[in-house]
Amino acid sequence: MDAIKQGQGETKEEILATTAKLRRMELVVSAVLRIGVLLSGGVILLGLVLFFAQHHGAALDDITKVPFSYQPGTIIGQVFHGSGTAIILLGLMLLILTPVSRIAVSIVTFAVEHDWRYVVITTIVLLILLTSFALGKAG
Amino acid sequence: MPHIVVLVIIILLASVVAGVVGSLLGLGGGVVVVPALSLFLHIPIQLAIGASIISVIATSSGSAATYVRDRLTNLRVGMFLEIATTLGAISGAYIATVVHGNVLFIVFAAVLLYSLYPQITRVIRERRQFAKTQTRPPGDTLIASDRIATSLALGGTFYDPAAKRQFIYGVRNVPGGFGIMYLAGIFSALLGIGGGVFKVLAMDTVMGMPIKASTATSNFMIGATAAASAGIYFLRGDVNPVIAAPVALGVIGGSYIGTRLLSRLAGSSVRLVFAVVMALIAVQMAFKGFGIGG
Repeated sequence: MDAIKQGQGETKEEILATTAKLRRMELVVSAVLRIGVLLSGGVILLGLVLFFAQHHGAALDDITKVPFSYQPGTIIGQVFHGSGTAIILLGLMLLILTPVSRIAVSIVTFAVEHDWRYVVITTIVLLILLTSFALGKAG
Repeated sequence: MPHIVVLVIIILLASVVAGVVGSLLGLGGGVVVVPALSLFLHIPIQLAIGASIISVIATSSGSAATYVRDRLTNLRVGMFLEIATTLGAISGAYIATVVHGNVLFIVFAAVLLYSLYPQITRVIRERRQFAKTQTRPPGDTLIASDRIATSLALGGTFYDPAAKRQFIYGVRNVPGGFGIMYLAGIFSALLGIGGGVFKVLAMDTVMGMPIKASTATSNFMIGATAAASAGIYFLRGDVNPVIAAPVALGVIGGSYIGTRLLSRLAGSSVRLVFAVVMALIAVQMAFKGFGIGG
């Protein structure tokens, strides 16, 4: 604490001012994450219950050997046929997309706050993330 | 092989533990999920790693929702350093084709064991201080921001209910932290686990952030790093729905418990648990490197 007061870096007051400005961002990011987790958790739970209703005597071997389709289009098609497996996969997709949406939403929020340096920083992160998705598909 | 419902329940319970440990320490929980699935339940390793990536995202999103709201997470530090971790994750995919996996596991274990010593001496020092003064040690030495950290306005603040005080802290050695974060990204892409340990070490040991802010910010970041690999694993078919579903649900529940634990524990206790889990990860990695066990 004393080091903060005497240091030539950010003063206590500057840190408090910066973090106060960040409050809206914190609430938005927190809400996006909470919605993502609750939504995907609910979908996964529903899918798991349906899966057990649809596969009574299934053994683990049957499940690890059954070829699932992991193409998002096919998964969504099967969701409408009430497939428990497809609904679980949809929930898992929503979960994977949660951190990505959090980044996308923070770019917008930083822009609203006119914090252009962090708009750039967060956009770079999103671009790197999308590049790695693309590289993964190509490889 | 147990009945499928029993199996799902066992996975669910193991994942609750993973969620508690992961959200408390800023790790993905892969340290619990991977051995539980592959060693004890004999689930094929690539499906265990696929489920572990899901557990990382679930821990991160589940606990960050709370930590960000409660300000334990330093959003600016996290978002800035995500540049390094995501770049590291991409590099990792290419390095994997050049360097032998065993070498990496051994290097990883050695670095962890090396970083263990300062952690333990800090815990001992803080406990002694507690015995002398009988006031709960904050578990942290606060420092002032250096020039680069000041220009990026990285300093942060949070209220710690366990220490009953507000922390206002500076940040130092941003380039050093950036470098370790890049390594953290490489390791998490290569090995499926371990990104979190290096993230916490980068912020706590290199950048001088309080331990609770370090684990909470690491928690926030691991989701973004893991999302990149998760997309790849998912499309490749390594995320089995019946294994990943109980993992995701268990971890979400566990992270709910873990976030409440972090606010109650003293900083030095968090550091002690972190040191113990770090040692376990190091041993696990060394075993893998020398080809013992899964």
